[in-house]
Amino acid sequence: MVLSEDEALELLAFLVTAARTQVDEAAEYSSLRLLTAAGRLADAIVDRVSPDTRAFLTGPLKQAPDLAVRSADPAGYAASLDAVCRAVGQLLVDHFRLDRRAT
Amino acid sequence: MTNSVLEAIRTRRMARALTAEPVDRADLEELLKAARRAPSAGNRRLHRFVAIQDPLTLRLLRMVTPGMFQRPTAIVVICIDGGRAESFGMRPTAKGLYVDVGTTAQTVLLAAHSLGLGAGVVTSFSQAAVSAVLNLPEGWSPEMFICLGHAAPVQPAGMRPRGNVTWQTLTHWERFPAKE
Repeated sequence: MVLSEDEALELLAFLVTAARTQVDEAAEYSSLRLLTAAGRLADAIVDRVSPDTRAFLTGPLKQAPDLAVRSADPAGYAASLDAVCRAVGQLLVDHFRLDRRAT
Repeated sequence: MTNSVLEAIRTRRMARALTAEPVDRADLEELLKAARRAPSAGNRRLHRFVAIQDPLTLRLLRMVTPGMFQRPTAIVVICIDGGRAESFGMRPTAKGLYVDVGTTAQTVLLAAHSLGLGAGVVTSFSQAAVSAVLNLPEGWSPEMFICLGHAAPVQPAGMRPRGNVTWQTLTHWERFPAKE
């Protein structure tokens, strides 16, 4: 198990309370909060995951700026998220051995 | 001109990364004394402070505070005492209540800076969850956290690049001209 109950509860509490705070906050904070949640999850599991996943957590995911918001640089923000998404897509392909399945 | 107050205003920054070094109780008490000196509309004193240093309580507060990037070793929670506000005939939405949250926060931020502490304000939390974690009295609403600690040497990049904001760009002198 890569996540203890305490750690899972921490993430759950973050997600639930973020759902509430987002009702009142700037719309652009929604991406920020999701990235923060991803970062907190990463911090919780980084020592217990496979080397490939750890490389993603400490590499592309860590490079996503903590406090960036879309309005400061819309194109740059989307591009930085695209980079993280590309990396997570490749991680999924590798982790689940998608390209090594018998066809 | 050397003016320590103006210098403190110029050099204060929000600390969004803090070390694990605890805040001395004596320093925390100095900040609370400063908070007590903050402007309060009508000297009504409708705000209450909850000071937290217990590590587990700090941890739980962080769990229900999506806007908390730092890991503070102390928090001052600025609360509005709704019952006391009501006794003055104030509605819960009266803007003065929230203006005083801001003036209190700025007073504490400057006091923290003067003591060499790192501090940052956070308002992105669930008031309902925070009330439950702190077991706040009926009628008290938590409005702002002042997260305290010792600033880490490296701070995360800000939300936006620093633009060319000057006091002049923020200021208009005298009356606006009549529309043609």
